[in-house]
Amino acid sequence: MESRITETHQKLSEDGHESECDKIVMLLDLMIDGEASSEQQAYFNTHIEECVPCFESHQKQKLLKGLVCGHLKRVIVPESLALSIKARIQETV
Amino acid sequence: MSEQTGKQLSKEEKDARFEAELLPVLDPLYNFAYRLTLDEDDANDLVQETYLKAYRFFDYFEQGTNAKAWLFRILKNSFINEFRKKSKQPAKVDYSEVEGYYNSDDVEGEGGVASTTDMRTESVQDLIGDEVASALNALPVDFRTVIILCDLEGFTYEEMAKILDIPIGTVRSRLHRARNSLKEKLEKYAKSMGYNS
Ligand SMILES: [Zn+2]
Repeated sequence: MESRITETHQKLSEDGHESECDKIVMLLDLMIDGEASSEQQAYFNTHIEECVPCFESHQKQKLLKGLVCGHLKRVIVPESLALSIKARIQETV
Repeated sequence: MSEQTGKQLSKEEKDARFEAELLPVLDPLYNFAYRLTLDEDDANDLVQETYLKAYRFFDYFEQGTNAKAWLFRILKNSFINEFRKKSKQPAKVDYSEVEGYYNSDDVEGEGGVASTTDMRTESVQDLIGDEVASALNALPVDFRTVIILCDLEGFTYEEMAKILDIPIGTVRSRLHRARNSLKEKLEKYAKSMGYNS
């Protein structure tokens, strides 16, 4: 069933129409960044309930964001840095 | 607050206020500088320069406004105006420099090899982190910047637009393209590790 839904969507976009799925792609970043309006959220959530490819794109996009915020190591600030900033500021008139 | 209005702060008061409001941003600011320059010394210089500029313009900074966004904006402008000219190296060098950076910490010491085998889960975490870092560092600096600001520092699109001096629409499209390239690089890695995406 789901794959048939996708096929229809893809045909639509090939015809040059903006399919629902295309609109969803445009909302992906807004959704994962918490920037979507409540209408956009409702539209998005209704769509991914019945469209597997869009549901999966959403999962992937969330995963990507999670990789950056959860796994990217923070570098450690050298201890001398705060001290030298304070020192240079005190010299500044 | 109201007592101070109209009065000039003494140097001591100004310094104390400056340190209280702006120094807490040091950690994210240094990390941002490092991700832009990919060099610890350059990051150090860039952060110092940013704080000195901020100090000069501190009278224009309104108390209680977004200190973090303000400092990020100053740093990003300093980076564009001065640092990009200074370091003539194109983005290609980034990759190996950062690999070197991580390797020197983990492998140089005698215990390096042992610790990687000991803590299995931790080293898997490290591997993912290193891979994310490499993929990110291989992106053009404009792409890297929006991903750091959004995903690592949690700025809103509006704040990012102010920090970068670009319209929100440009923030959105740049972020979208940046994520697509990051995804592409990470998918290659996932496949090379035998994961199916
Ligand atoms: Zn869809």
